[in-house]
Amino acid sequence: MSVKYANAVAAVKAMENTLLTRSDIDQMISARTRAEAEAIASAKTSGNDSLEKVWEMLSSYAPDDMELRILLYRNDFHDLKAVLKATIANRDPSVYYISPANVSLEELSRAVSTKEFDILPAHLAEPAEEAYELLTRTLDGQLSDSLIDAAALKAMQDDAEKYGGEFMKSFAALTTVCADIKTAYRCSRNGKNAGFIETAVCGSREIDKLSLVRAAQTGTESLLSFLDTTPYGEAAALLRESPARFEKWCDDKIMELAETARLQAFGIEPLAAYYIAKEAELKNLRILGVCRECGSDRETIEERMRKLYV
Amino acid sequence: MNSIGLALAIIGAACASLFAGIGSAKGVGLVGEAAAGVVSVDPNKFSKVLILQLLPGTQGLYGLLTAILMLRKIGILGGDLADLSTAQGLMFLAAAMPIAIVGLFSGIAQGRAAAAGVGITAKKPEHNGKGIIMAAMVETYAILALLVSILIINNISI
Repeated sequence: MSVKYANAVAAVKAMENTLLTRSDIDQMISARTRAEAEAIASAKTSGNDSLEKVWEMLSSYAPDDMELRILLYRNDFHDLKAVLKATIANRDPSVYYISPANVSLEELSRAVSTKEFDILPAHLAEPAEEAYELLTRTLDGQLSDSLIDAAALKAMQDDAEKYGGEFMKSFAALTTVCADIKTAYRCSRNGKNAGFIETAVCGSREIDKLSLVRAAQTGTESLLSFLDTTPYGEAAALLRESPARFEKWCDDKIMELAETARLQAFGIEPLAAYYIAKEAELKNLRILGVCRECGSDRETIEERMRKLYV
Repeated sequence: MNSIGLALAIIGAACASLFAGIGSAKGVGLVGEAAAGVVSVDPNKFSKVLILQLLPGTQGLYGLLTAILMLRKIGILGGDLADLSTAQGLMFLAAAMPIAIVGLFSGIAQGRAAAAGVGITAKKPEHNGKGIIMAAMVETYAILALLVSILIINNISI
């Protein structure tokens, strides 16, 4: 049995104490002012509050771990979308670039502007070329975005299969299923045609792509009925209530998966789980901030809060 | 003098300290890695994780103790070499095996348990003792092996 990353896992466990707990979140919800809420968060996180810093720390422990990099694929593909559109529209891509990512803004910009997509990492090169060609030919930003989103999910699944353990495979599969359901639901609501849905949906072992596309093409009710026949019947029930509830369910499911990795004493899984936990924490802080700005009541805020890692 | 008997006994003593030492080195090293991870984030936990790091070090000491007992009995330490038959040499070699083999594996296993205990200390320092107890359980088998080795050594008549 592997004892890899004993040092990193122990460090991460010590850092888990700086993650916000349920009682911290409750205090933040009860805080009278935004500044008071922010003070509670910064007292706990003591400056370790950016994903860039967390990623920097994790990658310093596991600099060559391909499995861990899969966590950044969604950012990579988001950045690809941003750079493609910004380059074609002659705008500055840096305002849309998000980090941490596996590819720097300069590298992405150079690849897109010179059309030398081979300089990009393997998971990005082919989708980048395909999306560029599609975007310049059709000028349909939405279609190109959908193609890139589906390619991101496929890359996650393929590389999790290639480099990852059980945890990363499950993470990639769950992320894909949630994204596919979300995409199919939106497509069915907006009456998108079969060609568009087929480009936008990635497909996974859990839910057959063809069946999902067919169901989404027929209409929302048909899609939800199809989901009822899959292991994701719960998702269909939540989508009937509201898409926001479904999104929360997806995030909570990923957090439940991360919790299983937290119990391990060695390996890359606790590191990946910590990154996922930090992402969820930041999402909760964003939701809390927006809810406070909108004057939402305590009950609404609590309902929207994602499951926490600690 | 039967040099084969003596050589077998010396190989036994070497095995006792060698394999048990390797087990301890691997175990202590692993816990050290984990401990360094915790201390890099929270240096105040140094003393707590140090106890856990020491635990897998005992197998090496047991191996050393066994080796010294054997070397003393066969006269290498006293300067008065015993005349050992091949059978007696094999007996010494057999006597070294329990602590050599159990020391190797228990040192590694205890290192893993103690490294996991470092995780407890990192997250919940107040439960540090539980991590120590769990790692210390592995020690039982190293002690049993040491006991068997000593009993055999003591009962080999020269």
